[in-house]
Amino acid sequence: MKKEFLLHESELKESEIFTISLNENEKVQITTNSNDTKCIFVSDFSNGSILNIDLKENSKMQLSFLAKRNFDKAEINVNLEKGAHFTAYFADFSKDKEKLKVAINLNGEDSAAHWHLASLSANNDNKEFNININHIAFQTTAISDNYGVCKDQSKLVFSGCSAIYKGSHGSHTRQNSKIMVFDENCDAIARPLLKIDEKDIEASHGAVVGRIPEEHLFYLTSRGLDESEAKRLITYGYLKPITRGFFDESVREEIVSLIERRM
Amino acid sequence: MAKLIIKDLHAEVDGKEILKGIDLTIDQKETVAFLGPNGHGKSTLLNIIIGHPRYHVTKGSIFLDDLNVLEMSVDQRSKAGLFLGMQNPVEIPGVINSDFLRASVNAHGKKPISTYNFYKILDTSTKELKMPFDLATRSLNEGFSGGEKKRNEILQLLMLQPKIALLDEIDSGLDVDAMQTVADVIKKEQEKGMGFLIISHYARLFELIQPTRAIVMINGKIVIDGDPSYIKRIDQTGYEFIKTEFGIEIDKDEIDMNKVSLGECGIKEIIR
Repeated sequence: MKKEFLLHESELKESEIFTISLNENEKVQITTNSNDTKCIFVSDFSNGSILNIDLKENSKMQLSFLAKRNFDKAEINVNLEKGAHFTAYFADFSKDKEKLKVAINLNGEDSAAHWHLASLSANNDNKEFNININHIAFQTTAISDNYGVCKDQSKLVFSGCSAIYKGSHGSHTRQNSKIMVFDENCDAIARPLLKIDEKDIEASHGAVVGRIPEEHLFYLTSRGLDESEAKRLITYGYLKPITRGFFDESVREEIVSLIERRM
Repeated sequence: MAKLIIKDLHAEVDGKEILKGIDLTIDQKETVAFLGPNGHGKSTLLNIIIGHPRYHVTKGSIFLDDLNVLEMSVDQRSKAGLFLGMQNPVEIPGVINSDFLRASVNAHGKKPISTYNFYKILDTSTKELKMPFDLATRSLNEGFSGGEKKRNEILQLLMLQPKIALLDEIDSGLDVDAMQTVADVIKKEQEKGMGFLIISHYARLFELIQPTRAIVMINGKIVIDGDPSYIKRIDQTGYEFIKTEFGIEIDKDEIDMNKVSLGECGIKEIIR
């Protein structure tokens, strides 16, 4: 199973890179041409924003979100034609109440998608990410990677369904959801769901919700790090990999500084 | 020269007594071969010295010179000069090896190490261990082979320079060349004055590093504390002579039946 759909540096140089922002209740449609390669940075995503993306045959898109403002009741809908590749990185450092619904439809054969999410939930935040992937054509591939840190009295939910429909033989799908829980009063839920209606497919899911493993803390402290430094390093390591999906160095630095500040 | 002094140490895990009265002193300049059958408490002793929270000391004391080790936190024990090279180093996804090494070196120093000096030491140490430098830029132990994990343990030893290093089966997973490399590093550190307490089931590593002393643990007690000739004897004849010569019956390692014998759909794991 192909694990990484990140665009190569050469593809990034040749591709069209642009930044968009979506205001409250704004609906944006992006459609690629066949064989296009596009990199899009979404600098602002707001309450009720809807982003619709259609990827034509053999086109590629890398989409990165840095969410600092509220995006409650927001939606991302992606349709992929034959041979299209879609990779998304969603870095969430917003506050308060959010609900994001994502639907990725692999309509064309050999299309592939990789969704990455890193979310930090603290204080009284109440966040739900509902990520749905639909394998509608044969030999389609999708991975959904969701990482969260849940602190204080906040609530963080990762839900959604990866569905393999009839006729999608030879498809592969994987859901990973991991939430690290810091405090007794926070509420973290990882609810993976697979719906399979075809043979000759590969489907798996993994859900982990829990505190920092004792063995990890022991290992780091046995090398001289005090417990708070060890926790900081582990948490940082949980969220920092999302920066790989941002091609602008200043955005990567901003994400690192947001992790440091909010932890 | 530092001295690790263990007196009448009793310890248990999950309510079961594993260590039943350990008396042991290790000088910093010594290299002690730590032998014994599986499941008799060797790893337990090493983990207790470094402060693993799973084990509980019920009686006795451990001192590093005049420092009461049992009253110290795990990180304080490391900063005081104790190091445990682990049998199964954990994989910590996302934590970059070099970030972790730098944070560890900084924790041991009075002031933060400069980027230049850190990478200079890292470069020298990885070359000494014949490790690919890219291991330092990967997630801590994640996807490392058995041998790479063990070399990464020795890399940390080199960078932290403890007074006394406890190595738990550091040779398992190493091929012949890698074992020679690790042995060369240990010998170099011996000459510089680092003390070692080393668990191994194979005489090969001990042949290469020439311990100054051998101890044997049976049933949670140290039953032999003597010269290194015991290493060869045990390698050739096993532990049966302990029963005939010392009159000690060796408890058999109990293996529990797996609680789960059927596969599960996907992975569902709750971390305690």
